[in-house]
Amino acid sequence: MVAGAQTSWVVPAAVFVPLLGGCAAGLSSAWSEKARRLVLSAAAVVTVLLTGRVLVQVSSGEVLEARLVRMTPQIWVHLRVDALGALYGIVASVLWLLALAYSFGYMADEHRLPRYYAFFLLSLGWTVGVAYSGNLLTFLIFYELFSILTYPLVVHEETPEALAAGTKYIAYILVGGSLVLLAIVYTYFLAGGQDIGAPLLNAGVAKGQLLAVFWCFLAGFGVKAAIVPLHGWVPDAHPAAPAPFSAVLSGIMVATGTFGIMRVVFNVFGVELVRDLGVGRWVAYLAAFTVVFAAVLAMSQDDVKRRLAYSTISQMGYVTLGIALLDPDAATGAIVHVANHAFMKGALFFCAGLFIKRLGVRSVRDLDGASKRMPLTAAALTIASLAMIGTPPLAGFVSKWYLGIGILDSGQVWYLAVLIGGALLAGVYLLPISYRMYFKEPSAAVVGALSEEGGSREAPFTMLAPLVGAVALVILLGICAAAPFLPLEVAKSAVEGFFR
Amino acid sequence: MHAEAEAYVSALPVAAVALPLLSAILVPQIGRRSTGFRNLFVAIVVAIDLAIVAALVPQVAEHHRVTASVLPTFMGGLRFAVDSFSLLFALFTALVWFASTLYALDYLAHEKHHDRYHVTNLVVLASMLGVVMAGDLVTLYLFFESLGLVAFLFVIHAETDEAKRASVKYFWTTVLGGFALFGGILLTFALGGEGALQPLPQEGPVALKWTAAALLLLGFGVKAGMQPVHVWLPDAHPVAPSPASALLSGVMIKAGAYGIFRTVTALFRPQIAEHLEEHAWAFSSQLGIVVLWIGIFTMFTGVCMALLQSNAKRMLAYHSVSQMGFILAGIGAAGYLGAHGAMGIAGGLFHVLNHALFKACLFLGVGAVYFRTKSLDMYHLGGLAKRMPLTFAFMAVAAAGITGVPLFNGFVSKCMIHHALVEAYELHEVASLAFAEKVYIVTCGGTACSFIKLIGLTFLGKPKVEYGPEVREAPPRMLVAMGILGAAIVTLGVRPQLVIRGVFEPGLHLWGLHFDVLEEYLAEYFLRWGDISSVVVAFAIGATVFTVGMKTGLFHAHLPCWLSIDWWYLQGVRALGRGATLVWKAYESWLHAVAAALRDVRDGYGRARARIERWYRRATVVLSTGVTETLGQRAIARAELALEVERHEEVREAVERAVRVLGSAGIAEESDWRDAIDAVRESASYIAQRLFAVRLAAIQDAVRQGHARELLDRLEGLIADTAPCRDRVAMAALAAAADRRAGRDVVRRLAAAANAAASEERFDLKVRAAVRARPAAVDRLASRAEVAPTEVARGAREVFEASSAWSRSATVSWSRWALDMVRLAVDAMTRERAGRVFDTSSSEESVLVTRRAITRYARDMSFNVAVIVAVLLAFVAAVLQGR
Repeated sequence: MVAGAQTSWVVPAAVFVPLLGGCAAGLSSAWSEKARRLVLSAAAVVTVLLTGRVLVQVSSGEVLEARLVRMTPQIWVHLRVDALGALYGIVASVLWLLALAYSFGYMADEHRLPRYYAFFLLSLGWTVGVAYSGNLLTFLIFYELFSILTYPLVVHEETPEALAAGTKYIAYILVGGSLVLLAIVYTYFLAGGQDIGAPLLNAGVAKGQLLAVFWCFLAGFGVKAAIVPLHGWVPDAHPAAPAPFSAVLSGIMVATGTFGIMRVVFNVFGVELVRDLGVGRWVAYLAAFTVVFAAVLAMSQDDVKRRLAYSTISQMGYVTLGIALLDPDAATGAIVHVANHAFMKGALFFCAGLFIKRLGVRSVRDLDGASKRMPLTAAALTIASLAMIGTPPLAGFVSKWYLGIGILDSGQVWYLAVLIGGALLAGVYLLPISYRMYFKEPSAAVVGALSEEGGSREAPFTMLAPLVGAVALVILLGICAAAPFLPLEVAKSAVEGFFR
Repeated sequence: MHAEAEAYVSALPVAAVALPLLSAILVPQIGRRSTGFRNLFVAIVVAIDLAIVAALVPQVAEHHRVTASVLPTFMGGLRFAVDSFSLLFALFTALVWFASTLYALDYLAHEKHHDRYHVTNLVVLASMLGVVMAGDLVTLYLFFESLGLVAFLFVIHAETDEAKRASVKYFWTTVLGGFALFGGILLTFALGGEGALQPLPQEGPVALKWTAAALLLLGFGVKAGMQPVHVWLPDAHPVAPSPASALLSGVMIKAGAYGIFRTVTALFRPQIAEHLEEHAWAFSSQLGIVVLWIGIFTMFTGVCMALLQSNAKRMLAYHSVSQMGFILAGIGAAGYLGAHGAMGIAGGLFHVLNHALFKACLFLGVGAVYFRTKSLDMYHLGGLAKRMPLTFAFMAVAAAGITGVPLFNGFVSKCMIHHALVEAYELHEVASLAFAEKVYIVTCGGTACSFIKLIGLTFLGKPKVEYGPEVREAPPRMLVAMGILGAAIVTLGVRPQLVIRGVFEPGLHLWGLHFDVLEEYLAEYFLRWGDISSVVVAFAIGATVFTVGMKTGLFHAHLPCWLSIDWWYLQGVRALGRGATLVWKAYESWLHAVAAALRDVRDGYGRARARIERWYRRATVVLSTGVTETLGQRAIARAELALEVERHEEVREAVERAVRVLGSAGIAEESDWRDAIDAVRESASYIAQRLFAVRLAAIQDAVRQGHARELLDRLEGLIADTAPCRDRVAMAALAAAADRRAGRDVVRRLAAAANAAASEERFDLKVRAAVRARPAAVDRLASRAEVAPTEVARGAREVFEASSAWSRSATVSWSRWALDMVRLAVDAMTRERAGRVFDTSSSEESVLVTRRAITRYARDMSFNVAVIVAVLLAFVAAVLQGR
């Protein structure tokens, strides 16, 4: 335990406010729609404020913690926030707030809303819990709850495809989760129940055991982070889930896997030990393959959401690559990319949801000429796509820049080809959507939408506002990247701690 | 020498970039209210921007380098730094932009999307100024990307199919170039640079240096229309509206030239110092020679392609490629000459400026022709000089500029580049550079020929079509725009000192290069016979080519498609697309294979589980109630039961009849009565037993032949048919009873009676008839083939059939024989016992069933006991052995 850690009520509050909000939503079937929305928004806004306060305090150098339950005399369920966790917490809560607002419009005519909202807010609580975990046991608890209790959201539409995707999801996640469990138990066996802080394991342990633990962790988190041989659930779960949940699924859930890998590399093993083990190289190979392979697959997808799902796999490959290079700049890039990607991909999924709701279109081909019906959505999609391929001064540029610098610093210049090739492929699979929307003759679906109502098919304010918000964040995170409390600065301070 | 000259901070660079950007936001709002006011607004904004850039001139003259920084939150901030060279680019950018904007106000009358054009116009202006005034590479990259991406809207403006195709090609080459540039800039950081446009540290691996330089060249070269990545240019420039073409060709490709200029003469040159070793220039000199040759190649192929065009704008676009070759050759020569490269730098950059002016003017002129005639085909025009005299005059001035006629601006810059090439040759007397110099002259000749063709075919001669009254002089604003450019062309042609002394000498001084050679040029060569003679040679070549070309139709030649680099790119892109699809297909089929394998495993597991469950159930049943029956066994058992009932019925019938006969006979004696009845019963039993056996045998035969199911279906009918036999049995029994009571042996009579009854009945035939009603075995095979033609079964059958016929038949016959033997033995045992053990008169079915079950159970239990005993014995033996 680091001296100077101070107990704060804000930390558990940030975890429990969304949990309570979720419970309330679960009981809300008899409430009026207005009351439910009020409670939900209040919970989400309060969470954003609390995580924001945590971020501000942590950025000013404080270490916050709170002890919850004593499991055994040695082991507490224990929250403790460092810069990485604080950043992850605020990104999650902001994206959740946007997605929740979007849900109000998107889910209005869906069934079983109390169930949806309950699990939606609960999963925010688990995520913040994961971010703020003070030791591996706490991490495990929140991580598993988070993984398993999102199943109802994946299958929410209860179509056969959704149920099949849900089965696939739960199978993958449970296998991954049990590997994580195994690795954590092994770590406890080797290192005891220390807090996350200084690296838990040290070179004194036999190398074979360290390698076993490492690969267990990596395979477990790799399922969540969609590293290529383990990515199977992602392209099915995303199109099946409702769009607002797809957004957080892509933006945060998949990223939780990479967050786990960061914790493993930086906190459980420590950079030095990983370097000594020589495993970074292999993880980097996997990640590089993930980047390119998933991007190539994304090119051939016709379903917009499926294409975005493959894009997520590819982009998470960047994050894993950034971690695996074991270089401060690359790690900064990786952490920043998690934050940037959350909002970029969130915006893209919001757009995809609007296409489904407003035009009834899921396929790229049917989007021809859609900009005439939905000019704002088309503009948002274009900006988010450009950000995704790393056009300055948008958000994606910042993270790719740091990744590039990190790649060069670490001396493995050939990964630059992966970085640039992946970005180029991102252009190849994202930009044609924009082109079709702006410059192709309207497709049958779009023309149908026109004759039905005439004029604009732009979404109502409740759905448009979160989209515009996400796009504004994408621009802000690019133009104001270096401002205090924004991801870049926080990531830099986090990385400083890891590479001491 | 004065690299660290005092950096003067000024707000003007920021203002020059920010003004058009912010104004662009207002354009749609204003345009919605009034187009006239919007036009005024746009023109004023561009004019003010020109004024701002002009206001930088005294600042730069005084302080040499003006810097500014803004938006510190973005990656260390956007930095601007303006030295003489930047200012040169910014000046002509703003000037040409002003002319083009003025021109567009009229020209766009026939186009759509005016607001979009003007927004694009302003944003691209801001980006262009941002590129040339950028103080570090990140800022440069930002503006370079936004320039490339936003200019896409210029190319696609008309939204015709041709424009869409061209714009898509433009877009992807731009994106590719952008990524190459991104990689190159990152690599300069790896080489120890800090992002500034300053010399990189000398040390660093050479391979990395070359990679960085190649990526930077590629990234900037795409924009600059450098061979072999120029392919977008001849498509994109003609389809844009003419004022936009003027900007694309005149100004925007100069962003690429600017980048290459900075790469060669700033990034990869050695540090600026008082005295430099010769070898410090080694890398930049090698890079220079590469750029020089790229330039020579570009200028020559560009001009060749230009000669083959009939579309005037397309021809001008190829000339843009060619002229960029001139510029690259100048910059390359400067790089090669190192510290003495002043002539190359000055020539190259002067040509940048000149090309911007005359190429913009040419595009505007051709645009004016198109505006009036709606035609761009040179071979279909002619004689326009009378209809559009002013346009003709400006076009002639611009053509004189580009062909290098003395007293027009192109003359100066072309001669300077020529001098630079000659200097480069004289440095080490490399023969190939002498060849380059020859190519240069020939290219100048080609250029001359091209413009003789353009002016001659379009404006001179006789009209080839009837012009309507709408073909008249261009509107005044368009003429003013061309006039501004024409005036600049002449001014610079007459007074090149303005630029040479005003821009190049201080700029070169700032970068520590010797500029005496420029003064020498002005004094010794400018407008002297030496230079003019080379122009005359060029024009002679041009006139010859023109005459030959027009006579022989050389200008209409079609090159084979494989000669065009564009075609190869297209093949490459297609191959990549196919590759991606292939990867996806392979991945998908792999997924399917995995899914199928998983399904197989699941099904196999299910089958195995079902089988085990079945075994388990059977085993439990066997252990609790004895062996369960097969279909055949069930048929036999049912038949046996039914026949047994029938047997009892026959006996009872006989007994009842005996009772009636005895009753009528009036026998009262108790013992007599019983004896008589017993005798009848015994006789009837015997006959019935024989009949039972015969019938059962028939049934068993049928079952053995595989008709169990049919038998089960028709058993009731068969048994019912046997009822008439009762009568016969009773009669025979009664007849035999008397003899029997008399103590005579009646067995033979009874047997005969039984045989008679059996042969009368022919139960076997009935059975056969019953089962033949359906050809059972065939049916069953057919149904099986229908119901479960699984892959596995088919495969197994195929394998089975493939095995040799002999072994199959042998196996089958052997196993059939063995089975028959076993079955016969079991039949014999069970039938005997069933007949013998229970021979009572109860015909209750339930009693019969129970009795039968007990029989079976006893039999099976005996087996079980035998097994248990055997196991116990084995156990005991093992124990004994253990001792």
